[in-house]
Amino acid sequence: MQAQLFQSAPINTSLRLDPRTKLLMMFILSVIMINGDIRGKAVYIRLVLAVIPFILLLFSGRIKASLFYAALYAAVWFAEAFLVYTTSGAANILIVMLAGMVGRFIPCAVMGYYLMTTTRVSEFVAAMEQIHMPRAIIIPLSVMFRFFPTIAEESRAINDAMRMRGIGINSLSKNPVALFEYRLIPLLMSIVKIGGELSAAALTRGLGGPVKRTNICKIGFGVWDFCMAAVMIAALAAYVLIQRGTL
Amino acid sequence: MDNKLNAKDLINVGLFTAIYFVLFFVAGMIGYIPFFMLLLPFLLPLITGIPFMLFLTKVKKFGMVTIMGIIISLLMFATGHGWPVLVTGIGCALIADLIFKSGEYKSWKKTVIGFCVFSGWCIGAMLPMWIMRDAYFEQMRAGYGNEYTDTLMGLMTNWVFPILIVLLIIGGIIGANIGRASLKKHFQRAGIV
Repeated sequence: MQAQLFQSAPINTSLRLDPRTKLLMMFILSVIMINGDIRGKAVYIRLVLAVIPFILLLFSGRIKASLFYAALYAAVWFAEAFLVYTTSGAANILIVMLAGMVGRFIPCAVMGYYLMTTTRVSEFVAAMEQIHMPRAIIIPLSVMFRFFPTIAEESRAINDAMRMRGIGINSLSKNPVALFEYRLIPLLMSIVKIGGELSAAALTRGLGGPVKRTNICKIGFGVWDFCMAAVMIAALAAYVLIQRGTL
Repeated sequence: MDNKLNAKDLINVGLFTAIYFVLFFVAGMIGYIPFFMLLLPFLLPLITGIPFMLFLTKVKKFGMVTIMGIIISLLMFATGHGWPVLVTGIGCALIADLIFKSGEYKSWKKTVIGFCVFSGWCIGAMLPMWIMRDAYFEQMRAGYGNEYTDTLMGLMTNWVFPILIVLLIIGGIIGANIGRASLKKHFQRAGIV
C-alpha cells in the first residue's frame, strides 16, 4: 500500500461521493460499529453497514483490498455468531477480545482508508468551508491527515535503522527505555523538521493570507450521495428504535 | 506581540495533534485487556509527555492547546466514544490552556499542573461506566458476551474512580518530567528548541 492518502492528483472512481457524505457515513458507521452488538436485531444492521465499505472499495478500484476486508469480516462474523456463546473461560475472553477488536475497528478503519484515499486535500478543505468550520479547526485537521502517512513512513524507516543497531523487540527485556526512546525521539525530530518545511511551503502559497481563499474544486451532492445518505440515516434510525425496544 | 494565531501556529497544532493521537491509539490498544484499561489514565500522560512538552515549547499564545483539545475530542466523538468525551475534552483543554497562560507558558510548576489537567480528557471516555453504569454495561453485554462484561464490571466499582484520578496525576507528573528530561538531553542539543 503506497502512501497516497489525501493525494493531490485527480482520482478516477465510478462512484463519486461528496466529502460531506463521506464524513456523515464515517460518523454513523463508527457510532453503530463501536457498540458492536452481537445479540438481537441490531446484528442485521451491523451486517448491512459492514457491507458498505466493501462496496465503496470495490467501486473505487481497490479490488484486492475489498476482498481481503470481506474475508476478514466473514471470519469475525463466524466467531461472533458461533464461538462467543459456546466457549468459556480464557478461550472465551481471547475470542471476544480478538473478534471484538477486529469487528469493531476494521469497518471503521476501512471507511477511514476510503475517505482518505479518495478525497483530495482541496476537496476536504472546500467541504469543511461549506459547513462553516472555522479556519482554526480546518488547518490543523488537514495538516493532521496529511501527516498520518508521513508518521507511518518515518517510523518504518527508523524501525529499520534501529533493527540494524540491534534495538528490536528482543531488547524489551534488556533495556525497555531504549526501545521507546530510540524510536520516539528520532521520529519527533524528523516530524518537527518536516513540519517546519511544510509550513514554509504553505505560507509561500498564501495559506496565512487574510483574504478568503478561492477553490477550484467542484464539490456537490449527486445521486449516489442521496442513496448512501438515505441508507445510513435509515440504518441509524432503525438502530435507535431497536435500542429503545420499539422495533 | 501579535496575539492572534497565525497559519504557522495552526500547522504546529495539527502536527503535534497527529503525533499525540497516534501515541494515544497505541495506549488505547493496550486498554482492551480488561485489567489494563485501568492503567490507561496512567499510561496516556506517561507516553505523551515527550511530544506534549515539545509542543509547549512552540506554544506562546492562548488558544493552541484549546484547539488541540477540541480536535482530539471531535475525533474521539466521531469514532463513537460518546458525548462525555466532548465535554471533558474541551473543558480540560480550556482549563489547561488557562493554567499555562497564567504561567506565561514558561512556569514549570504550572506546566506540570496544566499537563495533568489536559490529560484528564481521557477520563471522559471512561465516564459512562459510572454515570450511565447500567446502560453502559447492558450495551457491553450485548457486544462482548457475559464473561468479559462481568470481569470488567467487577473491576469498575465506585472506589476505582478516585484511584484513576490519582493514577492520572502520577502519570502526568512522571510524563512531564520525562518530557523535560528528553528535551534537555536531545532536543536542545540538536538545536530544535
